Amino acid sequence: MADFIQLFINGLALGSVYALAAIGFVIVYSATGVVNFAAGQFVMFGTFAGVAMLANAGLPWPVGYAAALLAMAAFGALFFIVVYLPLRTSPVVTVIIGTVAVGIVMQNAALLGFGSWPFRLVSPLEGITIDIGGAAISAHAAMVVVVTGLLVGLIWLLFYRTALGIGMRAVAQDVEAARLMGLNVNRLLALSWMLAAVLAGIAGLLLGPMWFADVNMGDPIALKAFAATIIGGFGSLPGAIAGGLFVGLTELLGASYLSSAYKDLIAFAVMILFLLVRPQGVFGERIQDRG
Amino acid sequence: MLSTDKLVVAYGGSVALHGVSLRIGGGETIALIGANGAGKTTLLRAISGLNPVRSGSIHFDGRPLGTLASEKRVSLGIAQAPEGRRVFPGLTVEENLILGTTPWRRWGQSPAKDLERVFDLFPRLKERRSQLGWSLSGGEQQMLAIGRALMARPRLLLLDEPSLGLAPRLAEEVYERIRQIAAAGLTILVVEQNTVLALAVADRGYVLENGRVVLEGRAAELKQDARVREAYLGR
Ligand SMILES: Nc1ncnc2c1ncn2[C@@H]1O[C@H](COP(=O)(O)OP(=O)(O)OP(=O)(O)O)[C@@H](O)[C@H]1O
Ligand SMILES: [Mg+2]
Repeated sequence: MADFIQLFINGLALGSVYALAAIGFVIVYSATGVVNFAAGQFVMFGTFAGVAMLANAGLPWPVGYAAALLAMAAFGALFFIVVYLPLRTSPVVTVIIGTVAVGIVMQNAALLGFGSWPFRLVSPLEGITIDIGGAAISAHAAMVVVVTGLLVGLIWLLFYRTALGIGMRAVAQDVEAARLMGLNVNRLLALSWMLAAVLAGIAGLLLGPMWFADVNMGDPIALKAFAATIIGGFGSLPGAIAGGLFVGLTELLGASYLSSAYKDLIAFAVMILFLLVRPQGVFGERIQDRG
Repeated sequence: MLSTDKLVVAYGGSVALHGVSLRIGGGETIALIGANGAGKTTLLRAISGLNPVRSGSIHFDGRPLGTLASEKRVSLGIAQAPEGRRVFPGLTVEENLILGTTPWRRWGQSPAKDLERVFDLFPRLKERRSQLGWSLSGGEQQMLAIGRALMARPRLLLLDEPSLGLAPRLAEEVYERIRQIAAAGLTILVVEQNTVLALAVADRGYVLENGRVVLEGRAAELKQDARVREAYLGR
């Protein structure tokens, strides 16, 4: 039982990271219609922003975390200007290839900057464990779950209780009508990219101490985040959360109770099942909502 | 208040407006009538800055609008209830309305008074205030589109076929509200295929055909005009 509790919390923590990556992905997709294939690399950048600020620059962790997230926000804005704006009127395929290409560039940039040797990002709660039902839970894993829960609450408040967030939803639904409301569409789209980058950054910072920080970590994360959004429902925020948690849980529980060779099998099998049987996912959002 | 001068607007190679000139004075209600494809929507979109102008000009309060962005035109006081209503489907009625306050509302300012005014005008919207946009009936969506435009505190209101797709009684009700809004002093440019309704609220009117103004005059005169009666009033 203690084993199960430990695995369950660790699975929730890993799932939270996938959920954050998936939320960032969904925010960009609903606001701009862009399927961002560089989403996994955004998370990798988040981890390495943490490595740069905490391990390399030696900043105390609150300052280092803030600096890393600020850098991620700036990166989101840069991505908006350099990648999204020039491609915005291009056919979908071009935009997809564009994000794939930028993802490769990001990976190589990280390789140049940090080398292929994996880093360890130390958690501020390193070595602390909490006893829950006889199981020794890493305080970091517990923190990941709590932080993700708080973030989900904040995101909900932003989108449903602030003029800014309502404006972002409006732009996602009908750009021209949003213009007629006097909304500055480009500013809101830039904010969507920045928000996605910051969420990916938080995912990366939280993931760093759980995995090794490795410049190739982006691809597996992207795959899990895609699986999460497909299972949860493409374009749905609740779906991204539920899907992320599901993928994280099956990964850790599967590795332990089935075989570590098959740990990803369940999540991807479920994803394929959804694609075949219920392509709109659990929370299937109606496509028409994009106006 | 608003004037267009020899306005030319084209979609790629096909010209939709061939030099349209019109003039709207403060407080006037103007009807713009014409058949399908005459260019009515194109003209309203150009005024709101959604379609680029090829040549000619649009002046608002004597100031040329040039290539001013749509959202800045809204701030100047030009609001539009567009063709097809374009209500935000995934936003509630109240969220749709509150978005309309974007051009003037700053931190801490309440939209409550404006909201009340729109709810007084369209009580149905108050009953439906927490319903999502897509779930409204066509008439309710039209009321929402007009109410949302009013939330911007506009000085010029552009309405694109507010009667489109509505049952006759509902269309009359919507026009009754438009008459009320006009009586309160707002300047209105209303585009319509339903010529009877539009000329009944308007002071003056323009008839658009194939991208050209072919006739203009006082609404009462247009109603009596033989060509209008034959082409648009069906008698
Ligand atoms: N997006 C577009 N691309 C190309 N041509 C267009 C576009 N929109 C309109 N047109 C053309 O421009 C002309 C004017 O269209 P517009 O929509 O302004 O007419 P309208 O008077 O509003 O008609 P309706 O009463 O049917 O709404 C038409 O010939 C139409 O086919
Ligand atoms: Mg039209």
